[in-house]
Amino acid sequence: MNHPLEITNLVKKFGGLTATDNLSFVVEKGKSVGLIGPNGAGKTTIFAQVMGEHRQTSGSIKVYGKEITKLSTSARVRHGVSRTYQIPRPFGNMNILENIRVGLMPDNIWQMITGNPDLDREEELALSVGFTPGDLMKTPSELSMGDLRKLEMARTMATDPSIMLLDEVFAGLTVSEIVQIADLIQKMRKDGMTFLIVSHDLKALEPMVDSAIAINYGAMIAHGTLDEVLANEDVRASYLGGTG
Amino acid sequence: MDLRWHHFALWAAFIGGMLALPQFVSSGTLRTIIFANYLAIFAISWDILSGRTGYISFGHPFLIGIGAYTTAILTKRFDIAVEYAIPSAVLMTMVGGLILFLPALRIKGSYFALVTLAFMELIYQLVQVIRPDLTGGTRGMSGIPTLTLGARDGFYLSFSLMAAIALSMWLLMRTRLGTALSAIGMNEESVRGSGLSTTRLKLFAFLTGAFVAGLGGAFYVHYLGSIAPRALFDINFLFTILVAALIGGLSTVIGPMLGAFFLTFLLEYLRPYLPGAERYFIYGGIALLLYMYEPKGILHLFSRGLDRWRERVSS
Repeated sequence: MNHPLEITNLVKKFGGLTATDNLSFVVEKGKSVGLIGPNGAGKTTIFAQVMGEHRQTSGSIKVYGKEITKLSTSARVRHGVSRTYQIPRPFGNMNILENIRVGLMPDNIWQMITGNPDLDREEELALSVGFTPGDLMKTPSELSMGDLRKLEMARTMATDPSIMLLDEVFAGLTVSEIVQIADLIQKMRKDGMTFLIVSHDLKALEPMVDSAIAINYGAMIAHGTLDEVLANEDVRASYLGGTG
Repeated sequence: MDLRWHHFALWAAFIGGMLALPQFVSSGTLRTIIFANYLAIFAISWDILSGRTGYISFGHPFLIGIGAYTTAILTKRFDIAVEYAIPSAVLMTMVGGLILFLPALRIKGSYFALVTLAFMELIYQLVQVIRPDLTGGTRGMSGIPTLTLGARDGFYLSFSLMAAIALSMWLLMRTRLGTALSAIGMNEESVRGSGLSTTRLKLFAFLTGAFVAGLGGAFYVHYLGSIAPRALFDINFLFTILVAALIGGLSTVIGPMLGAFFLTFLLEYLRPYLPGAERYFIYGGIALLLYMYEPKGILHLFSRGLDRWRERVSS
């Protein structure tokens, strides 16, 4: 059976450092998987390999059965895999609608020139992540961290992904912003979106995920429900800095 | 494309006003405007290539030079008609744009800028040593066929060319393509992460920038009737193009036009007081002040003033 994301024997080495160590896992359709581990465990490196920002040393990454390891980042996005960043990366001089417009564009220069922006869809996406009509002309410099995360979610959704990778989605947010983003993720889960979520905020992550994978030094050390994973001795040791 | 009637009214008023200008101004002023027109073309082309994408090129004279030399050699040495020589020059410049694009696949920022500077230096050396019988070597070439006689005709030709380029680029950049190119300058990784091939977009920007630079370079040499490598591949010429785009307003089409006219007239009006290179100190100082206090350029100053006026009228 083909899954939205299937990683097999993934290895990434930076010189003598093994950042991803023979990692294999599957994210099933409509499921939300938490990817946890201490700082430097290699979580973001996995995202970067899935998106093609880093090339893996060896191993396979499949999206719905198609090997994507040879594709460019933009081709992977068009293939249905999209991510947000730990530090949001908006287009600084563009307003919210224009930021979303970039995500909605076809990857075809002629169509970019001849077609018109889908203003209704831009607004629909902006409102769906919690912006108000009064916010739409604001530029990123006028937005809070929570709003920047919402903007990034909206632009990611604009690419029409079948799986979304969310990197430290709660980092730098106030309590009320965490609630807003969590509500948004829950709403998207109900609509059938598949997620792979990295977060240090395990309490906020708990209701967001169906299962979790814990990694340390790039290798999987536990998987199961989040409770099972957090109860695992190796996971506890990795967070507390022990040897397990 | 968000187009309103007042956009076309403003363009029509600008073009109409400029075409009527020869009735009211002297030949000397027209000649100054001719230089401003060509500088505007070069600044617009630089802005498409660099201002939008953020790949700051110091090699723009490399592109202009290919256009200028190709048409000069074809018409002067091979007696090829201008109507064939200019399109050939533009095509050659686009090949040059492709060559300039290659480093952009691997490097960006200051490294890219330095590599492009090397391109300018390279062509400067090449035209002097390779086939000087064709290029004229260090002395350049003179007696290149001119397309117009007198300031009035030169003005009409240069302005028509500049207006056609500016209007078509303004229309092009108002499409989603313009948004995508500007997005590359703001965050290339996010553009890729939005599913767009930045390689293809940058290639388009480089080829379009080269097309405009080649067109401008070719017509410019047929206006001057001569070509001098030392003036063409000069750092002052390069910086005049860059500063015109910077102080006019980056990532716009109107900004580089405004900047080009502002700079040309500033340098011209300073000439009686400072006939030497000291003028460049003044213009450098003004450019620096403008850039420090209004980094978005003269165009932004105008639009802010317009917004204030609108607010005052509405209240």
